[in-house]
Amino acid sequence: MSSRRHFNPWAFILPGIIAGGVVLGFPVAQAFWTSLHRLRMYRLHDQVFVGLDNYVRLLQDPLFHLSVRSTIVFSIGCTVLSVIAGLAVASVMSTRGIRGTSAARFFMAFYLVPFVATQVVVGMMGRLYVWEPEYGLVNFILGLFGADGPMWLISRDTAMWATVVTNAWRLTPLAVLIFYAALATVPEELLESAEVDGAGGWRALAMIKLPLIRYHIGFVALIQLTSAFREFDTVFALTGGGPARVTNVLSLLVYNEGISNSDMGMANAISFTMLIIVAILSLVYMRFARLGEMGN
Amino acid sequence: MAAIRATSVTERGGLAVRYLFLFGWLLICVAPVVVMVMGSLKDSSLFQSIPQLFSWDGFTWANYERSFRQGNYAHFLRNSMIISFSALFVVLVVCTPMAYGITKLVSPRARNAIVFSVLATRFLPYVVLALPMYLFFARVGLTGTLVGVVLAHLAMQMPFIVWLMLGFFAGIPPEVEEAAVIDGASPFGVFWRICLPMVLPGLNAAAILAFIISYNEFLFAFFLAGYEAQPLTVGITRFVGGTDVGAQYGVVAAYGTLIILPIIVFALIVNRYIVSGLTQGAVKG
Repeated sequence: MSSRRHFNPWAFILPGIIAGGVVLGFPVAQAFWTSLHRLRMYRLHDQVFVGLDNYVRLLQDPLFHLSVRSTIVFSIGCTVLSVIAGLAVASVMSTRGIRGTSAARFFMAFYLVPFVATQVVVGMMGRLYVWEPEYGLVNFILGLFGADGPMWLISRDTAMWATVVTNAWRLTPLAVLIFYAALATVPEELLESAEVDGAGGWRALAMIKLPLIRYHIGFVALIQLTSAFREFDTVFALTGGGPARVTNVLSLLVYNEGISNSDMGMANAISFTMLIIVAILSLVYMRFARLGEMGN
Repeated sequence: MAAIRATSVTERGGLAVRYLFLFGWLLICVAPVVVMVMGSLKDSSLFQSIPQLFSWDGFTWANYERSFRQGNYAHFLRNSMIISFSALFVVLVVCTPMAYGITKLVSPRARNAIVFSVLATRFLPYVVLALPMYLFFARVGLTGTLVGVVLAHLAMQMPFIVWLMLGFFAGIPPEVEEAAVIDGASPFGVFWRICLPMVLPGLNAAAILAFIISYNEFLFAFFLAGYEAQPLTVGITRFVGGTDVGAQYGVVAAYGTLIILPIIVFALIVNRYIVSGLTQGAVKG
């Protein structure tokens, strides 16, 4: 790139690689190693090699199946909801007359609130003030329309939906921001010529804007999917995995097994399984979107 | 002619509808927080309905008093601040030179390999890191110390911050650096005196985001920090006794407000940097 001779970029990179190896590589290797052992938390020196036994037990465990199902519903629900909401808000923000105005900047500042709100507090706030069946905000609003809201977090049929909506609320600002920035890169001439052809408003959005930002939609969907997949804080504070374990996503199951049951071998087997799932997801994604499209 | 007139009329009529939509979304974003803040100022036993929260009946500071006295707010705030600022410092010191070095790699294969691993580790489930750290720290006696939590935060933030800074460094035109080299600047001098000042807005964005992420973080602190080192996020869950919080609406709200409101106000003030930081790396400029 440049003609400098005595400069070695590795001198800048190496400390980072070493730090990353220690804080990222070492725990991951350790997680895999522990997952092959029987290890109880209160007897740390009594580590017995059991091979893939933890994984075999895992696959036969109905609680694991339940958690896998909740995690799939939760992650996909959060992703779909936050991408759709993000597209809707960003599209309206990008229309002529609003984009670039001080009103747009004002709205955008407040749209960040769910993103910067502390997740555990969001969970508690959701439980006590938003989804509470008798006094909560959601049922209060439903009541204004004469509807009788369900028991939300208490009922097994609705708890997952309330949890998905709460977490999607938290994830949407990122989608709004990225889509808003991406929509700014759509050339104005393209929209003008479409308008002359009679394709304004909705049709321009569906036929021109969305196809042009499809890589960003894919990228945001991947970020939301993986961050919902690993979510712990919000669900832990909102439902604690209940009622009847319907919201007990995999991260919470890892906590149950590892810390509460002190079965470290099993817990690490679950978390390593999560790692494999995420790796597959990212690889599938990288096949579809060329890496070069994103940044750098 | 007719078509053009039609669009301008719908655009003007539509503007009000669009503003209404944007205002509705704003309400969705802030309403839960507003309700909680109002709830924190009310006697819990009087909590009957949402409108009641907005009346003067039962107004009290008692919930805040309890948060400070029994909830030990000041102690946990101190831990939160130590953790967030140390994490921010460590993360920036490690990640900024790394990102700069990556943009300077001549071999595209080496560069792609590193960028790929940065991106891949960005999606790591945190429990994969937290459990082994818990085991390791238990063995070497780092459980319950701030050092352990800060190291965990480095692991959590590194991929994101490197990715962020990569985008900002890549935006520097090569001519600027070449001119500096011709003027006799050393490689480190180019980085320190030429490039770093040019990415200062990016560095601000990274620092602000790193701070917010660390301040809000719960999982690692919950696994790794004992009582002495626990930050506010863990403090509130232990204080209100896990899932049995029914009787303490007001105290939970007050404690929650004390955690959430400072970070929201801070974010509103520096929102420009958060916006630029989050869109960087996802959208090519």
